[in-house]
Amino acid sequence: MLVFAASDKGGTGRSVTSANLAYQRALTGDHVAYVDFDFGSPTAAAVFDVPGAMRGTEELGLHSYLEGETAEPVRIDVWRQTEHPLLRARPNQSGRLVLFPGDAGGGEFATGEEALERCVDLLLKLNNEFDVTFVDLSAGRSYAVDMVLDATAHPRMRNVPFRWLVFHRWTRQHVIAASGLVHAEHGIIGGGVERGHDEDDLRSAIRFVRAAVPDPESPLWSQGSTAQATWMQACDEALRRLAAEHRIGDSVVLGIVPLEPILQWQEQLITEEDVLSTQIANKETLEALEEIARRLTDDTHWGRL
Amino acid sequence: MTEPVFRETAAEPRTQSVPLAHLSVELGHLYMEDFEAGPERLRAHFAEVRPWVEAARTAATARAGGKRARISTCFLIDDYFTRFSTPADVVPMLLEEAERAGLTVDYLARESGCAVTGKVPVAEAVAARIVESPPPGSYGLRPPAAQTGWLANGERSPVARAPQAMKRAVPWQPPHETAARRHSVFLDVELWSDDADGQRLWSCPFLAAVWQLARLGLLRNEGEAVLAPRPHTAGGFPDKWDELPTLLRLNERADPFAAYRTCSVLPTRFLPVEHAVRVILDQVQVDPGALAQVADRSGKERMPVPDSVADRISYVYYSGP
Amino acid sequence: MAPRQSTPPVVLACGEIRTCLLPARQALDIRSAAQLLGLRADERVLLSERPGLYARSPDTLTGVDCPLPSANGARVRAVGTVTAHAALTEGRVLQTSAYCRMPGTGPDQRRPWGEYLVRPGVVEPLGKLPREAVAQGVLGGPRHGDLDVGLIADGLLTRVLRHPLLDQRPPFRSRPTRLRWAALPAAPGEGPSLERFTLAEDELRTVRLRVPEGTPGTELAALCDDLALHDWLLTTVVRMLDGLRLGAGAAQDAGAVVRTLRPAVDHLLHLWMPGARVGRELAALWDPLEERPGFTRQWQALVQRIRDQLTLHAIPAAHREVEPAP
Repeated sequence: MLVFAASDKGGTGRSVTSANLAYQRALTGDHVAYVDFDFGSPTAAAVFDVPGAMRGTEELGLHSYLEGETAEPVRIDVWRQTEHPLLRARPNQSGRLVLFPGDAGGGEFATGEEALERCVDLLLKLNNEFDVTFVDLSAGRSYAVDMVLDATAHPRMRNVPFRWLVFHRWTRQHVIAASGLVHAEHGIIGGGVERGHDEDDLRSAIRFVRAAVPDPESPLWSQGSTAQATWMQACDEALRRLAAEHRIGDSVVLGIVPLEPILQWQEQLITEEDVLSTQIANKETLEALEEIARRLTDDTHWGRL
Repeated sequence: MTEPVFRETAAEPRTQSVPLAHLSVELGHLYMEDFEAGPERLRAHFAEVRPWVEAARTAATARAGGKRARISTCFLIDDYFTRFSTPADVVPMLLEEAERAGLTVDYLARESGCAVTGKVPVAEAVAARIVESPPPGSYGLRPPAAQTGWLANGERSPVARAPQAMKRAVPWQPPHETAARRHSVFLDVELWSDDADGQRLWSCPFLAAVWQLARLGLLRNEGEAVLAPRPHTAGGFPDKWDELPTLLRLNERADPFAAYRTCSVLPTRFLPVEHAVRVILDQVQVDPGALAQVADRSGKERMPVPDSVADRISYVYYSGP
Repeated sequence: MAPRQSTPPVVLACGEIRTCLLPARQALDIRSAAQLLGLRADERVLLSERPGLYARSPDTLTGVDCPLPSANGARVRAVGTVTAHAALTEGRVLQTSAYCRMPGTGPDQRRPWGEYLVRPGVVEPLGKLPREAVAQGVLGGPRHGDLDVGLIADGLLTRVLRHPLLDQRPPFRSRPTRLRWAALPAAPGEGPSLERFTLAEDELRTVRLRVPEGTPGTELAALCDDLALHDWLLTTVVRMLDGLRLGAGAAQDAGAVVRTLRPAVDHLLHLWMPGARVGRELAALWDPLEERPGFTRQWQALVQRIRDQLTLHAIPAAHREVEPAP
């Protein structure tokens, strides 16, 4: 299965959350690929902690592959090449976790017919090799989004299942923007239909992930005043109404990732160790990630409403 | 090594051989405009051709070490780009004018036979055998989308492409002929064009290259010879071009159609087309079985052919229309 | 330039093979295989039905003009063509194989292209070929910009995989492998030998051979295709068994075991026929591999393990909460 990670704005935690989902799937035994189509600002290498492996990939990453400069984009075996001490000891019975980075120093670029064919080649190849392939897309209505909409509408891809995760933060602006990305005239659905996707099928393959959501019940806020708590409750209520009005209400939400201080400070994978022994991450965060990862392939959370 | 006991015919390649002359001389092409110019045009043409055919004959005999050289003559009529008149009208007039100049046309071919003969898509098959000459620096990476339908003798100017954000666009660079000595004579040949309905029209140079391969005995389809000459049996010629065999043997005692080498006598205006033919032939990988047969037999006759297929063809150009 | 009639004898042959599962729900029958591999309108696909279905495409050529890879940093430029073909075994395993042969010396400068085209599959050095260094360079992996026959095999694989006949629904997930090989001349009077078969990175294997002068390139390629095919079979079945959590005891595992192993029975177990399409002389090179580590020995052990697992899970167990999925 292919999973496309999209967001309307930067700073939604799209990359770090989808990297964490990939990590969680690999822990359960799936072979997982993580494809960095965030052409303008490739960050995946940092999340997976593989800076060393990125040296010398200037001409061999996904940019070069799509432009036809290399036949096979470089792949980084995360378990083997990460500098994160906990990840290096590949957990028993875990599946492979392979990162396909962009070129170091690559930029956003316009894609043509040839790039599309190569994109289809790559996605098919990955789908034949990996159980789940995460594709992290540049924010907004980017070339990357257009390309994968084209690719998934391509006749060769007709039998390849795919799902979309749209990430947004829990604020007024972000809710409106995320809805626009999906539902606006040339949004993901409109743009997809223009390219030959079936509207209902496409809509039923899109779910939202609310990221960095402050939980008023959380001990994080327990020091605050009553007035603060009440205000937060009211805001939360208002946002839920706003989301529902913008067709991204609770029924199309796959999961909610709580506000997590360590993710605010540093984009990284959250391991059990971070929660249990060093306790720098919250248990709720890890549980939310595990649950979203599980729901990705649980059909009861997908389909028409 | 012993021969295996078990064989499967579908699992073994084979190549049919064709009879071969020493030299195939082309007496000319006939296009509609030539025909419309009347029999005088043909008469003038054959008069120009005659001495050169004699010269080619002398040269071939010398190459054969003074023995009788096997030489056949042929003539190509365009029925592909424009259809004009009928075989019943054109062919007798053509033969009469040739005879008047003291020339014999052994074989008559229709140009559309170089595109498709019977059910064999000859031109398409040759197009699939093009192996582009690699510019220095070609290390095995699939070249970024070849210019479909075009073939060059070198590297084209880079196409201005939208660069990645924050990167510079590449400034103009000249094209470069791969085999250039100091300076380039760059040629880019259109092999075909497709019309709005997807119908493919092969270009004149491409069909001319196919024609040369046929005359060199190097065309095969699934190992079988293509464009085998048919004898001319009936008295006259048909009223429709399609009813005329694509390659017709007019002279019963003619030497074989295909030959080790070819020579074409043409007016100078064909020069650009024939330059293009060389560019194409230099980049076609012909059937290795056919190639080996020609090399083997010419070697046994002590008349070795040049390695390169493009070097087996020669021309005489005369000034004129 | 003066014409030349012959090339000096070949002193190095090298190639690379990509092997993968055909991405189609059903194995292709012999007619569809011929369609898939019909790379040229005028050349037949070679089809063979004994001892199993096997189809091989006509050869395609790719022109190259670049430095040769070398272990000692010598940058020898070479020009010529690399031969490649695609093959399908039992309509199920797809291989693309690219190789070239190199003479010990070549002309000092590049010749007209047509001269290279009449020597298909030959890449000629400009000057003298440092064959040992180049053989090592090939097996060690070319640097960017050096001759890379693997790219040519990969390009052909990409082309075949774009064929509309393929529904892109493979019966199970698997990884392609790459096998690089290089063959140097054997000492005078000696027969062919397999010097080394190395499992390198995850997907890479290298093979180093010695063969008598005059061994045809097609036979060498056939041997290496055969080695690559069987190595892929072993690798793939081993990984299938690796993916199982055997003996975990959970009831739902029974279904998982059957689901995971059944494709091996449906699609792979009948493909094991080492040496079947290799000339007699070169087929003998299988012997050392059979002796140690014993490719066929390992295969038989795997087959037995799969059959045992399937038998075990086929027994209707009263204590099982969930039956194996059909």
